[in-house]
Amino acid sequence: MSIHFKINNIEVEAEAGELLINVAKRYGVDIPSLCHNEKVKSYGACGVCVVESAKGGKLMRSCSTEVGPQFEGMEICTESDRVVRARKVALELLMTDHTGDCRPPCMLECPAHTDCQGYVGLIANGYAEEAVKLIMEKIPLPASIGRVCPHPCEKACRRAALEEPVSIANLKRFAADVNLEKGKDAYKPAIAAETGKKVAVIGGGPAGLTAAASLRAKGHTVEVFDMMPEMGGMLRYGIPEYRLPKAVVAEEVALLESMGIAMHNNIKIGEGEYTLEKMSAEYDAVIVAIGAWTSSKMRIPGEELAGVMGGIDFLREINLGNIPNIGKKVVIVGGGNTAMDACRSAVRAGADEVYTLYRRTRAEMPAEQVEIDEAEEEGVIFKFLCNPVEIIGENGKAVKVKAQKMMLGEPDASGRRAPVPIEGEFDIIDVDTVIMAIGQGCNVKGFESLELTRKNTVVADENTYTTSIEGVFACGDITNRGPGIAIAAIAEAQKAAVAAHEYMMSGSVPTIVKNEDNAFYSKRPLTKEDVKEEYAFRGTEERVPMKHRLAEERKGDFNEFMKGFSRAEAEKEAARCLECGCLDYYECRLIDYANRYDVKPERIGGYKHKRADMKVRSEYFTRDTDKCILCGLCVRACEEVTGRGVLGLVDRGFDTTVQPAMGLPLNQADCMSCGLCVSVCPTGALTENMNGMKAVPLPENMFVHKCTMCSAGCDMMISHYGNAITKAVPMGGKNADVLCERGRFVLPERFTMGNAMEAVQKAFGKILKSGAMSAGKIGVLISASCTEKQVNNILSFTAAIMPAFVASNSMGKPIPEKYRASVEFAAIKNGKATSIDELTIGVNDEILKKAGVTMLNEQQKAKIESGEIETLFVFGDDICDIDTSKVKNTEIVRIEF
Amino acid sequence: MEHCQNCKCNEKHDYTLLAPVMEEYAKVPGSLITILQHAQEIYGYLPTDVLWHIAEETGIKPAKVLGVATFYTQFRFKPVGKYLILLCCGTACHVNGAKKIEETICEELGIKDGDTTDDGLFSLKVVACLGCCSLSPVMMINDETYGSLTPDKVKKILKELREKSEAENK
Amino acid sequence: MKIVIGQGSCGIAAGAGKIYDYLKENTSFAEISITGCIGMCYLEPIVDVIDDGKKRTYCKVSADILPEFSKALEEKNFDSEILKKYELKDEDREFLEKQTRIALRNCGIINPESIDDYIEAGGYKALTKVLGEMTPEQVIDVIKTSGLAGRGGAGFPTWFKWNAARQSQSEQKYLICNADEGDPGAFMDRAVIESDPHNLIEGMLIGAYAIGASEAVVYVRAEYPLAIVRLTNAIKQAEERGFLGENIAGSGFSCKMRIKAGAGAFVCGEETALIESLEGQRGMPRLKPPFPAQKGYWQQPSNINNVETFANVAWILANGGEAFAAMGTEDSKGTKVFALTGKIKRGGLVEIPMGKTLRDVIYDIGGGIRNDKEFKAVQMGGPSGGCIPTELLDTVIDYKKLSATGAIMGSGGMVVMDETTCMVDMARFFLDFTTKESCGKCIHCRIGTKRMLEILNRIVNGEGRDGDIELLEELCLTIKDGALCGLGQTAPNPVLTTIKYFRNEYEAHIYDKKCPAGHCASLITYQIDPDKCRGCTLCARQCPVGAISGKVKEPHVIDTEKCIKCGKCKESCKFGAIHV
Repeated sequence: MSIHFKINNIEVEAEAGELLINVAKRYGVDIPSLCHNEKVKSYGACGVCVVESAKGGKLMRSCSTEVGPQFEGMEICTESDRVVRARKVALELLMTDHTGDCRPPCMLECPAHTDCQGYVGLIANGYAEEAVKLIMEKIPLPASIGRVCPHPCEKACRRAALEEPVSIANLKRFAADVNLEKGKDAYKPAIAAETGKKVAVIGGGPAGLTAAASLRAKGHTVEVFDMMPEMGGMLRYGIPEYRLPKAVVAEEVALLESMGIAMHNNIKIGEGEYTLEKMSAEYDAVIVAIGAWTSSKMRIPGEELAGVMGGIDFLREINLGNIPNIGKKVVIVGGGNTAMDACRSAVRAGADEVYTLYRRTRAEMPAEQVEIDEAEEEGVIFKFLCNPVEIIGENGKAVKVKAQKMMLGEPDASGRRAPVPIEGEFDIIDVDTVIMAIGQGCNVKGFESLELTRKNTVVADENTYTTSIEGVFACGDITNRGPGIAIAAIAEAQKAAVAAHEYMMSGSVPTIVKNEDNAFYSKRPLTKEDVKEEYAFRGTEERVPMKHRLAEERKGDFNEFMKGFSRAEAEKEAARCLECGCLDYYECRLIDYANRYDVKPERIGGYKHKRADMKVRSEYFTRDTDKCILCGLCVRACEEVTGRGVLGLVDRGFDTTVQPAMGLPLNQADCMSCGLCVSVCPTGALTENMNGMKAVPLPENMFVHKCTMCSAGCDMMISHYGNAITKAVPMGGKNADVLCERGRFVLPERFTMGNAMEAVQKAFGKILKSGAMSAGKIGVLISASCTEKQVNNILSFTAAIMPAFVASNSMGKPIPEKYRASVEFAAIKNGKATSIDELTIGVNDEILKKAGVTMLNEQQKAKIESGEIETLFVFGDDICDIDTSKVKNTEIVRIEF
Repeated sequence: MEHCQNCKCNEKHDYTLLAPVMEEYAKVPGSLITILQHAQEIYGYLPTDVLWHIAEETGIKPAKVLGVATFYTQFRFKPVGKYLILLCCGTACHVNGAKKIEETICEELGIKDGDTTDDGLFSLKVVACLGCCSLSPVMMINDETYGSLTPDKVKKILKELREKSEAENK
Repeated sequence: MKIVIGQGSCGIAAGAGKIYDYLKENTSFAEISITGCIGMCYLEPIVDVIDDGKKRTYCKVSADILPEFSKALEEKNFDSEILKKYELKDEDREFLEKQTRIALRNCGIINPESIDDYIEAGGYKALTKVLGEMTPEQVIDVIKTSGLAGRGGAGFPTWFKWNAARQSQSEQKYLICNADEGDPGAFMDRAVIESDPHNLIEGMLIGAYAIGASEAVVYVRAEYPLAIVRLTNAIKQAEERGFLGENIAGSGFSCKMRIKAGAGAFVCGEETALIESLEGQRGMPRLKPPFPAQKGYWQQPSNINNVETFANVAWILANGGEAFAAMGTEDSKGTKVFALTGKIKRGGLVEIPMGKTLRDVIYDIGGGIRNDKEFKAVQMGGPSGGCIPTELLDTVIDYKKLSATGAIMGSGGMVVMDETTCMVDMARFFLDFTTKESCGKCIHCRIGTKRMLEILNRIVNGEGRDGDIELLEELCLTIKDGALCGLGQTAPNPVLTTIKYFRNEYEAHIYDKKCPAGHCASLITYQIDPDKCRGCTLCARQCPVGAISGKVKEPHVIDTEKCIKCGKCKESCKFGAIHV
């Protein structure tokens, strides 16, 4: 008999005995729960799934409350105040004893929160093409930013405690360059359905172009207006060619243009017919991203003389192609990156003596250390504790600079030690030109109708970047505190774009937009010593140096001097990443709910466990007890579904932990490596190791697949990010509860979503260069898991290199010894076989036979083991029982799905 | 599995002592706790290899045996001293100054709750309630109960037991 | 002449065992026998002397006076100085006379190790009557009329539980007695089992018959070894006499009984955790519904009642439900046993009809506060209960009225506190208990109680912060809402009630960094009042850290830096010159 009642005012109907949480789900009401999973019986531990009846009374655990006659006409609320409070406190209490880094320090430190661990991991696994997709979610100009960004991410990188930080900026550049090399079919963000809304972006610098790209991708019509002849803003006109070639900026701008963004140059808002009022009338939203183009004045006598110019003005002139005649002796004033660009550009513009004056010392200079060293290499002379007070001129032209000698006083508010003049001590320097690179200011002409700060920048909300005029948003150097680094401008642009989109679609901007700035993350503040101890098992790997032109040679021209990583260098450097961020971030229900209910655990605080067995690595997965929330899912799944009962709860109350039998390592505790416990774990307490490649936390999508790792053919779900396979998990439901270790952990290494032949060309190309090409020295092994198309592809390709043999190591072969127990357990559990002897590794032996491929015979095996074969191509096959130690190059090539 | 994890004593124990208990209870469902209680009676505590033996004999998964054994406070995983002091800190005893008695014992024996003295003579375990609240503060030493304790009385009792034990050893 | 020595655990602890052995050996003029615990703990050891029909009771009989004592008895010189000195005083006699004993009717009277004593006192009559003449429905009806409710603390109508179990269809049903008695400060169940085990057996068998159970289990805590010995012995005797096992008293009803010893887990007082423990599992409470009456032990219908509940059943069936219902209040019928302890003059077991007030129990029967100090509060219901302040002393003892105060009836633990007890420290003590006893299954209880304990520890150590009280209150409400079982749902009660009635003490600890009760070490400073101090130097000698200085006959001074606040000086000072 069916029962009628209401859930959040939705009329629902259910049969007696159905669980309340499932009824709600059927009607689209998602009740959060941590310890519930369809695979196992209800447990009712976490209390996060509590709901309330309108009539009051005790809160009900929806995961275990069965609908019955008493429900007739009842009104259930799943988000009432009392329910939300109980749920929120439950999550806050969990978080007070949860130890982990939800997101890595590099991503958190980056103003735009780019997923550094994500794209570095993808590059390490040979998926640079996927890496650029991830980067462009935040940065539409990755090649440019990759070259110029002062990389705050690297300052936060924990690898610094071992040797040096991971070279994240250069890796970003590598991925972007690989993408640009593809020319017209380079990746660019997909465009959502047209919304019919029109957006005007004023300013084509990093901020404007980011807002434009983000809004275009959301389906709006976007037009960018910029006063300069080319788009790029400071990237194009503020940064010298040797650091960021114009061609790179142009290519990236063209890519954005190909997304359908209209670019209008040589248009200055406020002059002529274009005014802010007219724009905001004509367009549904206006983004003001005009940057900071005026060079700050030093306000000292003689500043107006000829031969005295602003830092960014000097760089703009060079970038416009007319290198000003600066003569032989040049003085640059300032200690930031602009000053470095100016002095190194002056060297390239023909000056013999270039002095850089800075009123503090080297240690206090805001410029990047590597920039200062490279400037010195190129002959720039630094004069520290030296502050110009007067420019002496002769008939209108600057000839000498009078500079006051300084000494360092007490540290000021920001911790920097204030320079104090030494009475009467001066330095007189003869000059032809003086370049003042002491800062930038904003020119708000034409935008006076907006509310401005005392420093002539536009007042903008720090979360939504709305301004004082409705529909007008501002981002980049023009807002609030004024000029900063490019990535900070990009970060503001992303937030402005989100708010503008919301405004155009719903007519109003929400008071608070949730983003990575205000999201809650569990963090672990580690000291250098902590990092050394915890990551000691990774050993030491020095940072891969970036090849670059030497000072003598490079200072003569403006050409780019950093060569960029090769694929091998990039993959080697990317492998150094310590994977600090939690691998289960995108699957973790805890962090999802924590942010859905805005938890503030610090208000409760209290003792946090710090157990010795924090990261226990078994062969296939890692157990991190300090992330365990004791939902019991792994214990129950191992008991109820697989029947092995390997895991158990130990001790009682607050100090309870989950341990394998008697605290033994998993492989001694009767564990079949089916990985079910890892799949059901709602947090990062149990994560896959992904041997043979780097485990990378990525937003995945799934598809159903029949496993080809042996003839059982169990049903599974493959999760992937672009072409990179990240996981294989049991599909669940009838006859698909578990997978064996081959399907669960080995398959993801063996397959790719992308074009396998591309991988072969890369591998093949590499062998060509290594000179191991002579005939008879190459062996090819093809797995019986390949499809017909793949076998033909491989054969047509390898034929050209006249291999000694093309054979298979898996046709008709029984399951290798290492996997027998696990395969038998899963195959029988899934009803695919009654005993291990019925199963073979080969799945489609007929295809190989038809293609003339035979089983590896003894002499072929001997050739491999004797080392006669110098290069062995292995297309997804099992090497396990062959000794390949003597083979020079063993190239494991993933098979295409 | 030979060695034992928790108590690190690495010896194997004589399982024949446990045979009669296994005879009676091994195949009776739900009697794991009773078996553990008898095992602790025989060996003085629960060595891990005995837990493994119990798991094998009863067919209960080792993880489950360890889970049950570590849930109940009666079970011990380390040998105890000759005299096991159960100091009550129930409500009545707490109100009548059990805290001070605990401090005195810890001072006197140089151990804290849950430890055993180096000479293996005394083990201290603070328990929730011994059920003779009218004699609070109260403690039991090997089934002998001492009520209405004061710091001085406690010192006297411990001294007597130490002398008695030395006398027995001679 | 017959000499009977009280052999409850407390009695033995107070020396009754030695008295029994001595008299057994050295007297030939009288029959020596034992009895259970009469419930007058403060007078133990107790010896009854029955001589030609007259019973005299002697208290606090210490081992050293035995020779003189037994000689006087041999000569029946009842007026001798020795016998007069140790005879029961009148006001102590009142301690018993003012009580109405049903559950404890035989305790301290009959010999718990003799089934004949029990039968002689009317034992097993009710059982034979039930099995002979009554149907299960009729038995349940009598219990319904009697208004008997759960004595474990929840106060759920007993007939309702029996009826639900009876209606569940199954060929195998279980009757379980919850003798876990985990509440610290409660010992009435132990007294019943040790002193009158047959009464429990009879009550349980009547219950088993009522619900149709063929197996009964008594879950006794491991800390009650003597109770287990006496109950095992009673079960054997009952089997031999045909009151237990196959075809009881020829009625065709069969029921076997066994004992299962708990292993130290307060949570196993909760019925589903108890069942998990019976099944050899970790004591983790189950979800309800299904209730044990539908799916309990081995997923079969099971009924669980507390020892004291069963202890009333035989009397009710023998005397009829109306007689029981005549006692008590409108919604709480019959009597309740309380374990009166703490700062009480006369501590022990007090069984009174519902309807009496707390003041009656504490002052009339209990004799008021020790050393005539100020009554401050009485803690009822242990870790699930709360503290009831002076202004509510006249609260009527009744399930509803007690719950209205924020405390609960509980199993009967009644700990009396005077002005030297700090209420914030009491809340901390109970949270320390529930944190250790939480099974760890639910977040709210596992982590919630720990965080509340940390906040209370902070407050007691003088690091309390503004907002701590409000945070405690919020955590209390959400833990009550989110916890799955009784332990978690009631763990906040001690905090809520102490905040409700003693908020000023919390504020004193947090804002003034003072402990009004002078108990919390880090918030008190010991000082000597120069006017009262006679310079007798006793305190200086007592002080373990030598923090007290001063010449003989001159006022002494305490060095507050060195002082470790152990309180020895204050205890030893005869002139009350040291204050906090």
